[in-house]
Amino acid sequence: MKPIVNIEGLTKTYGKRRGISGITFAIEEGEVFGFIGPNGAGKSTTIRTLLNIIFPTSGSASIFGKDVVTQSLDIRRQIGYLPSEVFYYDDMKVVDLLRFAAAFHRCRNEKRIADLAGRLDLDLNRKIEDLSFGNRKKVGIAQALLHEPKLLILDEPTGGLDPLMQNTFFELLKEERAKGTTIFFSSHILSEVQRMCDRVAIIKDGSLIKVESVENLMRNNLRHITLTARQPDEIDLSAIAGIVRRERIGTTHLKLLYDGDMKAFVQGIAGCPFTDILIEEPSLDEIFLHYYTN
Amino acid sequence: MLFRREFKRNLRGLIIWSIIIAGIIFLYLGIFPSMAKQQQDMDNLMNAVPEGMQKAFGMDRLSLGTLLGFYGIEIHLMTTLLGSIYAALLASGIVAKEQNEKTAEFLLALPVSRPTIIVHKWLAAMANVLLFNAVIVAASFAGFQLAHGEDLSYKAFFLLELAVLMMHLTFAGIAFLFSAVARRTRSIVSMSLGTVFIMYFLSVAAGLSDRLSWLKYVTPFKYADSAQIITERSFHPLYAGIMAIAIAGCFLASYWYYNKKDIAV
Repeated sequence: MKPIVNIEGLTKTYGKRRGISGITFAIEEGEVFGFIGPNGAGKSTTIRTLLNIIFPTSGSASIFGKDVVTQSLDIRRQIGYLPSEVFYYDDMKVVDLLRFAAAFHRCRNEKRIADLAGRLDLDLNRKIEDLSFGNRKKVGIAQALLHEPKLLILDEPTGGLDPLMQNTFFELLKEERAKGTTIFFSSHILSEVQRMCDRVAIIKDGSLIKVESVENLMRNNLRHITLTARQPDEIDLSAIAGIVRRERIGTTHLKLLYDGDMKAFVQGIAGCPFTDILIEEPSLDEIFLHYYTN
Repeated sequence: MLFRREFKRNLRGLIIWSIIIAGIIFLYLGIFPSMAKQQQDMDNLMNAVPEGMQKAFGMDRLSLGTLLGFYGIEIHLMTTLLGSIYAALLASGIVAKEQNEKTAEFLLALPVSRPTIIVHKWLAAMANVLLFNAVIVAASFAGFQLAHGEDLSYKAFFLLELAVLMMHLTFAGIAFLFSAVARRTRSIVSMSLGTVFIMYFLSVAAGLSDRLSWLKYVTPFKYADSAQIITERSFHPLYAGIMAIAIAGCFLASYWYYNKKDIAV
């Protein structure tokens, strides 16, 4: 099966300023694919290149098997895009804007507009300029979903939405997904990626660090280990390789982040004077931080 | 779709500028009859103006006492200068606004090609300038009636207005090109206005000094020189050609560049 999105060696430099370099990954059909990195890592640059808002310096990318530069118009017919910051024509009413966008997609569907507005609790007759940031975002969501695209590209979609609205949003995404829509989802908030995505690409300083299934990321060897001891500072762990971080919590707890063979750790720790041990799976945030700081 | 949107968005500006220019034309043509009665005084007044100034404003060849002469000296200055300012503001805004207000990202993510965008925006700019000039012509005609029209050469008047229209289109084209090419668009409006004013002063300079007369080939204000068009009843084909090429060139350059431009948001 051909991937929906295929990015190969995609590079974008702005003069001397770094954009992204040599990004390569592919998104399969029907997948919810996360794109994670801190602010300024190059997420939006990658997405804008896919939409041909900016041109790649080198490398290439294709969506639906079509080149993002030469066949961009064809591609954009089947894409719904939610930018991280939503800016619309201020003088338009919400409903006019949605119709304006729908007209380009040749999909005039008043029922769908009313439907989405109802779900998102959006007043269609207000002017864009009177809307708060969160409400603009909701217009953006409605606009991206309106024409039932084959691929949704969402750039930091939850920013500005209250938790209740985030739930609605994720429900909407689930429904789209059930229809077979592929979703490409950038974020710096890992819990929401963890919640939605099948696989994630981690990007840092413009380079791709890793593409991994969320399941695998959670399953790798990285563990949180909390030791309880009377004198935690006296525990000698120098013989154990793979301790990423060590910090004392309170007077009796020693918290470790460990990346390595569990058996070796247990054998190494066996002689130490601890009273309790707690081994936990780290959150994706911590896993990410691990990749990010290394 | 896009054309309609651009047209609607700029309609208010068009109406306001049309009212202003029509008002000015009526006002000037309204006072013409009383001025014409005191033609002797007027001619004396004009002769009191230094010769260089007379040349710069075409007063050496046009008479304030005739309707068309009056039009060529007083009103022509308004239609050319104000009209060019309007054309420059309009055309630079039509592309630059999209980037300033960051709506370009939304527009470019829609299934609409860049050539379509740039062509529609160009057509919207040109349509506005055309309508604005139609208002100038209509208001002038009405004003001529108001001024108890003596016989005037309509040929000269139409040639003059044709030159004015082309000049506005030229400034619109230049401003459009600026905003299509610029990466950061904040200063585009002032740049476009600056171009209009510099061109205006060059035209004054070209009239003031013989040594600078070559400047008449540089500035569109000299291409639409009322004194020459009214007295000779001809619009120099060279000037018409230069403007036509400038307008087409600006469009082609905008079109070409916009198609390969990174849109910074």
